[in-house]
This record gives sequence, structure tokens and C-alpha cells, in this order.
Amino acid sequence: MSTTPQSLLTYRRINALAAYTVAISAFAFLLLPIYWLVVTSFKPLGSLFVAPPELWPREFTFTNYVNQFDPRLLQMFQSSLIVSAAAAVLSTFAGSLCAYAISRFHFRYKNALLLFFLASMAFPLPLLMITMYSTFNQLGILDTYWALILGNTTLGLPLSVWLVTKFIDQIPVDMEEAALIDGASPFSVLIHIVLPMVRPGLAASAIFVFVTSWNELLMGLTFVSSPEVRTLPAGITLAFLGEFEGDWSEMMALAVMVTLPVFLLFMVMQKSFLKGMTAGALK
Amino acid sequence: MLYRVRKDPLFFAGLILPAALIVGFLILYPVVNGVILSFTDATPLRPGAPKYVGLENYAYLLEDEVYYASVFNTSYIVFVSSALAVIFGFLTALLLHFGVKRFAPLFRALVFQVWVFPWICITILWGWIFNKDYGLINYLLTASGITESNVDILFHETGAQWAMIAGFTWRSIPFLMVIALAGLQAISTEILEASELDGARFGSRVRQIILPMIRNVLMVALLLDAVRFFQEMTLPLVLTQGGPVNATMVLSLFTYQLAFENWDFALASTAGTLWLVFLLFVAWLLLRFGMKKVHTR
Repeated sequence: MSTTPQSLLTYRRINALAAYTVAISAFAFLLLPIYWLVVTSFKPLGSLFVAPPELWPREFTFTNYVNQFDPRLLQMFQSSLIVSAAAAVLSTFAGSLCAYAISRFHFRYKNALLLFFLASMAFPLPLLMITMYSTFNQLGILDTYWALILGNTTLGLPLSVWLVTKFIDQIPVDMEEAALIDGASPFSVLIHIVLPMVRPGLAASAIFVFVTSWNELLMGLTFVSSPEVRTLPAGITLAFLGEFEGDWSEMMALAVMVTLPVFLLFMVMQKSFLKGMTAGALK
Repeated sequence: MLYRVRKDPLFFAGLILPAALIVGFLILYPVVNGVILSFTDATPLRPGAPKYVGLENYAYLLEDEVYYASVFNTSYIVFVSSALAVIFGFLTALLLHFGVKRFAPLFRALVFQVWVFPWICITILWGWIFNKDYGLINYLLTASGITESNVDILFHETGAQWAMIAGFTWRSIPFLMVIALAGLQAISTEILEASELDGARFGSRVRQIILPMIRNVLMVALLLDAVRFFQEMTLPLVLTQGGPVNATMVLSLFTYQLAFENWDFALASTAGTLWLVFLLFVAWLLLRFGMKKVHTR
């Protein structure tokens, strides 16, 4: 290739064009399943079973969505919402207190403790669930929201501790020191100075636990059996394995409705979540 | 350090207490109790205290072909999908950072959400995409001439395994891409510009400068995802129920079914305990070899 300015410019342009083409096709490929999900959810059932498949629906319909609004499904949405929100609050509450202790106290096995929290995410869930099941049974909270809330809080806690610790580590201790010297109690320092400063971290933790609890299937299948407390993943699984009769377009509409809340929540917290995730890893 | 445990013991205890209660009762106790149960004949179906049976459960499990299949399938599916996810995640991050930098935030925002796509929704979407008669995959396969007629991928052993791998990989590429992108953005442009002036080609810059610098970030992200994959079982549980012929029977599904479908708490605890031992072994390997390498670099 010659190095005259003119040809260098063309070369750059071709390069850029190639990069955009590759990038757009790569992302189109990544997003194809989601596109297919959404498109299918707007098709009437009849136009699903044609070859070749309609890449763009010839006939739009909202009935798949309208049909979702039956009391059973709303009940499951409500259960999922209660369980996920409660687990998010509990896990972030316990996690941020523990994170403050880890970040600001001097004690010997601090790193071991953080490592334990990380490692506990790998502990076999079915193994934990065996004893959880017996414990919840003795407490008489099987088949209630409490079993699912406590279970999901347990699954979320390690990440809450980890994320919030990373956020507290990033703020300088000067202000807390000054407040303590002025005679403030450690508790009020935590409440009035530290927690407001790590609000993005708290939000990231709460939303992350909400998302994982919204996703949780096993405990939802096992710890509860009454339809009144059944969460979405468990309910959908039972329907999919049982009464589902090939009505794919309604299933896709349901999937869109189940996904939408966590998509929106996650979009809001993307930045602070990333900050917490990469802060530890990049150093 | 701001506080010392000896000076403010009550404050320390108050901070730790809620987390300690949860960890103690719902993580530590279940793990210890699980190991104990693995030496008994515990089942919730029979009243009364479980009997000690020694190593009977271990002997039984280690002769069970399905158990070995589940260990193999889990390792295979987790390894292949983690490797694919890290390769594609890194490549797309490179593309974003060096190719289309201006639009990197837009692309990132577009795909990162895939990482929180609920597994149950992936499962029913996969059921439709891999559908034998009207699924998109089958249409693409026959239209491009790879297969002559539609195949029932989910009822084919290799096909079902690859449907799982596709699900795991697809969901995790965005996460690894975003983490790799953050790593790339943290590399100072001066180093890269200097090597560019020295005439280093893009390929060798990637291999000799970029990869070593973001290796740690990628490793951590990969490990986090592999750990999640190891536990995840919505796809095999709902879509294939471990079939066909146990081709998608993974360790978590195997253990879960023993515990809550057969209600054999003892045997399930045995499988869980062996799983824990395996994890400890992997952790030891990582600490012994993986991390050391990073330090000496």
C-alpha cells in the first residue's frame, strides 16, 4: 500500500466501514433471539406455523398480551414482586452493615471472610436446600413467602457484601474520623455519612438481588406448593411442562412481560453495578 | 482503620449480626449438616431419626452411571460455554474499543441486558427457536443446505448439549464483553500509541500488551460466570429434563432430583458433598497455579 495522504485516508475509511459492518452484524446476531421473541409475541398463532417463517409479522396482534391478564398470572407477578423486593431489601441491609465492618474495622481474618463470601456463591444450592427445607419445615414457614424471601436473601447476601464493600472502600475515611472526633456515635456516622455516600452501591446491590430472585426457579418449585405464593419461574415451568399446548405466541408474550421489569431495572443500575464489579478486578 | 474490634465490640457485633445469622443458619449449618447426612439414610418420607450407614451412599453413587454422566456433562457444558463466551466477549470488546469507539456505549447498552434475561424466558424461547417443525434454527439449517430435512435437535444427544451451550454462551457474552471493555478502557493510550509508533502490528499488540494487561479481569469474570453456570439448571430441568438419554443431565439437576423428586436426602447430600470436594480441589488448583502465574508476570 502506498503512503500518500490520499490513499491513507481511503484506507482508513475502508477500515472503518469494515469495522462498522462487522460490529453491526455481530450485534444483530447477539440480539436476534430477543428480536425473534418480541416479533413472535405479536403474531397471531396461525402465522407461526408457516415456512419460511415471517421475519416481520404480516399481521400484528395484541391478543397474546391481553390474554395474559388472568388472575392466576397476576397472582404470580405479585408473589415474585413481593419475594424479590423483600429479598433485595433484606440482603442489602445485612450486606451493607457487614460491608461497613469489613471495610472500616481492623480484624485479622478480614480477607478470609471476603473470600468465604465469594466462595459461598459456588456452594451447591441443592445441598443447601436440603437443610433449608428441614429448617423451614420446623419453623413452619414452608409454603409461605418467608421461605422464599429467606432463601433468596441467602443467595444474594455474598454479592451484596462484596459490592457494597467495594463502594465503601472507595470513599476516604476523613469525614467519618472528623465526625467521630466531634462526638458523633459510630452508628450515626454510618447512617448519616457513609450510607448516603454509597447510595449507588446500595442501589446496585438491591437491584442485583432483585434480579436474581426474580430469576430463581428451584426454591420456588420446592419450598412452596400453593398457587397463591408461587413465583413466576416456578409457575411458568409447571405450565410449560403441563397444560401448555403449543401456543408459542402466548408463551413469548409472557416471556416478554416477565423480562421487561428486570431489563428496565438493570438498565438503570448498569453504571454503578459495573463500577462495583470492575473496581476490585482492575486493581 | 477507623475502628478496632476491642474498642467497639458492640458496634462490631451489631454490624456483623444480621449477616452472621443468615450465613450461620442458612449456609454454614446446611453445608455441615449435608456432609453429616451423607453418612446416613436420611429421608423426609420416613419418620424417626436417620441411621448411620457409613460409606454406603458413596459406594452406591460411585457405581452409578448417571452420576458419572452428570459430572462429565456439567464439566463439558460449563467448560465449552465459558471458553466460547470469553473468546467472543473479548473479540467483541476489541471490536468496540478499537473499531467503533464512538458508538461503544450505545452497543454496550443494547446488549448488556441480555445478561439478566431470566433463564425461564430463555428456556421457552429456546423451545420455540429449536422447535422441530417451525423453529428458526431448523429453518436456517435446511435453507442453507446443512441438513436435508428438519431435525429434532432437542431430542438428539449432541444437539441437546449444544442447545444448552448456546444458551449459556449467549447469555454470558455480553457480561464478558462489558468487563473486557472496562479493562481495555483502563489501559493507558500512551502505551498503545508508543507500540504503534514502534511498528507493532495490531495482532501482536493484542497478544503482547493488551491480553496480559486484562488477563486478570477476564479471569475473574470468567470464574464468576463459570460458578454461576455450574449451578444453573433451568434450561436442562425445563427444556429437556436431563434427556435425551441423560445427555443434558447436569450435576445440579441430578442432585436436585435425588433430593426433591426421590426425596433421598442422604444420597443427594452425598452428591452435594462430592461436589463440594471437587470445588475445593479446583480452588486449590487455582490458588496453587493460576494465581501464582499472574504474580510472577
